[in-house]
Amino acid sequence: MSPKENHEVCHDDNTRTRMIILGPGAHISQNELVQKLHMMELPLTIKSTCYGAMVYGDQEFVNQAVKKARKLDPYNIFTKDRGFPPGDPRRCRGHRGAAREGFHQLEKEFRLLGHVAEALEKPRKVTIEEPEKVSVDDFREIVKKSLKSSKLSKIKDEG
Amino acid sequence: MKVAIFPPNSLILADLIERAGHKALVLQNEIRKKIKDPEIDSPPFNLTEDDPIKGLKYAAIEVPSGVRGRMSIFGPIIEEAEAAIIMDEAPFGFGCIGCARTNELCVFYLRKRGIPTLEIKYPKTKDETIELVNKINTFLDQLEEKNG
Repeated sequence: MSPKENHEVCHDDNTRTRMIILGPGAHISQNELVQKLHMMELPLTIKSTCYGAMVYGDQEFVNQAVKKARKLDPYNIFTKDRGFPPGDPRRCRGHRGAAREGFHQLEKEFRLLGHVAEALEKPRKVTIEEPEKVSVDDFREIVKKSLKSSKLSKIKDEG
Repeated sequence: MKVAIFPPNSLILADLIERAGHKALVLQNEIRKKIKDPEIDSPPFNLTEDDPIKGLKYAAIEVPSGVRGRMSIFGPIIEEAEAAIIMDEAPFGFGCIGCARTNELCVFYLRKRGIPTLEIKYPKTKDETIELVNKINTFLDQLEEKNG
C-alpha cells in the first residue's frame, strides 16, 4: 500500500474513545455505570476507571452509549473525547508507572464538576458583556500614568 | 456549529458545548488522527518532520520547531472553527498544552478569525463556576439563534 493510501485509511478510521466521568454528586457508582453500559449490548470495549468508565468502538455505537449513559444522571455525567484507545501502552498508567498525561487536568476540573452540575440543574439568565476597545485618549492617559509612576519609582531608587 | 475551545482539551467546555447540541473541536480528535496513522512508526513521538513544515503557515521559521509542530495540530482546529470559547488563567498546562508561546499564538489566531468568541476566566469559587456555566450556555444559545 502506498503511503498516500495509508494516510487515507487512517482518516477513514471510524473508531472513537470516550471518557464518561461521574461528577461528585452522581447518583450511580462506577460499577453501576459499567454494568449499565454492558447491558446496552453494543459492540464496544468498556473499561471501568476511577472516574467512571471509558468506551471504545465504532463512532456510531460510542455516540449511542454516551447518549444513553447521560440519561442515567443528566446533570452529573460528563463526557470527553480521548485520543488513545483504552489500555494503550503509550498512555496506560500501568505501563508508565505514573499518572497518565491528562489525568492531572481531569483532577483539577473534577473539583468544579459539582458546581457545574448545580448550575446545569438551576440555570439562570445572565448577560454577556462584550469587551470594548480602549479609546486612543484612554490609552494615552494610561501610558502617561504608567510613565509618571515609573519615573517616580526611578527617582525614589536613585534617592 | 463547530466551536473551538481553549484550553483545547477542557472537559467542562467540551461537555457543555455538546450538551447544547454543537460540535466541540477538541485536541484529542486531532491527536487520534496522529496515533492512528500507520506512517508514524516511533510512538509516542507522533510528530513527523512534515509537521513543523506545516506549522510554517502559522509561525515564522525563527519560531522554535516545538511551537510550529504544535501549531500544525492546533491550526486545523482554529481554521475549522465557527465560534470559540477561550478560558483564560486555566491552572493546567500539562502535556502538549504546556507551551505558553503556542497557547498565546492560538488565542491570537482565534481572536484574529473574527468569529463569535466568548472570553472567560477559569473559575475559582462556586459562584464563579455557576456564572461561567450560565455564560457559556447563554453564548451557545445565542449562536443557535444567529445560525437559525
